[in-house]
Amino acid sequence: MAPKFKARVLSTTKIIKNISIVSILLLSFFLVLFSKSDYILINSIKNFTSSFINPLTKVVSSPVRFISNINNEYIQFKNLKFENKILHEEIIRLKKWQTLAIQNTRENKVLKRLLNATDNNLKLIKTASLINRNQTFYSNMININAGYEDKIEKNMSAINERGLVGKVIETTSSNSRVLLVNDPNFTLSIKTVSDEIFSIVTGVGDKKQLVSKFIKNNNMPKVGDIVVTSGTAEVFPVDLLVGKISRVENNRFYVLPFVDFNNIDYLQIVTSK
Amino acid sequence: MISKSIKNYIIFNLILFITFSISVNSFVSIENINVISYIIFHISFIYFIFYFYHFSLFFISFFYGVLFDIFLLNSVGVHLIIFLILTLLFIFFKKYLLLMSSYQIGLLIYFVLIFIFFFEFILAYFLNNIFFNLFEFGKYTVISLIIFIPTIFFLNKFNK
Repeated sequence: MAPKFKARVLSTTKIIKNISIVSILLLSFFLVLFSKSDYILINSIKNFTSSFINPLTKVVSSPVRFISNINNEYIQFKNLKFENKILHEEIIRLKKWQTLAIQNTRENKVLKRLLNATDNNLKLIKTASLINRNQTFYSNMININAGYEDKIEKNMSAINERGLVGKVIETTSSNSRVLLVNDPNFTLSIKTVSDEIFSIVTGVGDKKQLVSKFIKNNNMPKVGDIVVTSGTAEVFPVDLLVGKISRVENNRFYVLPFVDFNNIDYLQIVTSK
Repeated sequence: MISKSIKNYIIFNLILFITFSISVNSFVSIENINVISYIIFHISFIYFIFYFYHFSLFFISFFYGVLFDIFLLNSVGVHLIIFLILTLLFIFFKKYLLLMSSYQIGLLIYFVLIFIFFFEFILAYFLNNIFFNLFEFGKYTVISLIIFIPTIFFLNKFNK
């Protein structure tokens, strides 16, 4: 009786093993097939990773973060003298600009009253801080500590004091994922401030600049022109600062974003009014 | 008392989770740490499949495949496919692979590693439209070459 029983137990284990392997393979197949859609399973996996695995990876990688911070502090300390000199010069320059800005603000208010114009087209949803970065070969994304509980939705724009940072591509209850402007899968419609040349730009492989994908009427801008969001695609609010033209070639141009993507601590999630 | 093989199994799982955690978090002032960690994860994973065959490897492949895809690409595909195919291939050819000498196994792990990176880059291009960058691939190959022997040495130490 004993060997028979043992043989039956063994075969049951084998069957369970085979069933679990087949189910994993089937589940993987369906996950890959429906990964780009908004199915509940995919969304719940994304929510789970964002809410539980992400904080866990942050805790596990905290020693590296600690070393990275020490290294950062050392580099900053080394550059302190040089930065001090630059900041001194910048303060003098900014004081001049401040006087001019105060004058312009006053003038603006008067002109707006005369034209009966509204203030600006942006509605602030939430100011959030950075949780961690996923800036790898595959993508340029960051995670922030605000989600749909803070009324953040997909495709909302993320900005900081320097201009457009990216757009929200994923939200969970308390976290959101922002795809940065310099990601090769990011497409943005822009216009130049000076000549209003409309075009579409996208991130480049080096993840430092943006390159034009389409230029309306083939009008080429000049190097140094400032570009802002055009608002034509109705994804981003109009007139958000993007960057300036850094290089113009035969049938394309490059834009250097104003935002320093390595130094993002806080950002604002905004939408059009 | 935990048996030695279970202890090793837990240690290797810890190695996988730690390297995974570091590779999905970018650190601005230590530029290549996540690339190095990503490579160590892959080396450990291949080593793990080679020396610790258990059917739970399918769950591990599934788990890390999905997590890598969601963290790095925001859609499931590239890593999940590669990890599962790799696990299946190793199981199919296990009886031939075990006949190899340690030198041949080392070489095999290195070449499998490079092939994995190559196919991951290619799949990322087809599934997620991520530009295949030869320079990046070269960087991964060179870093792999540098850290391969020390990593294998440490993994062998853990797995006496």
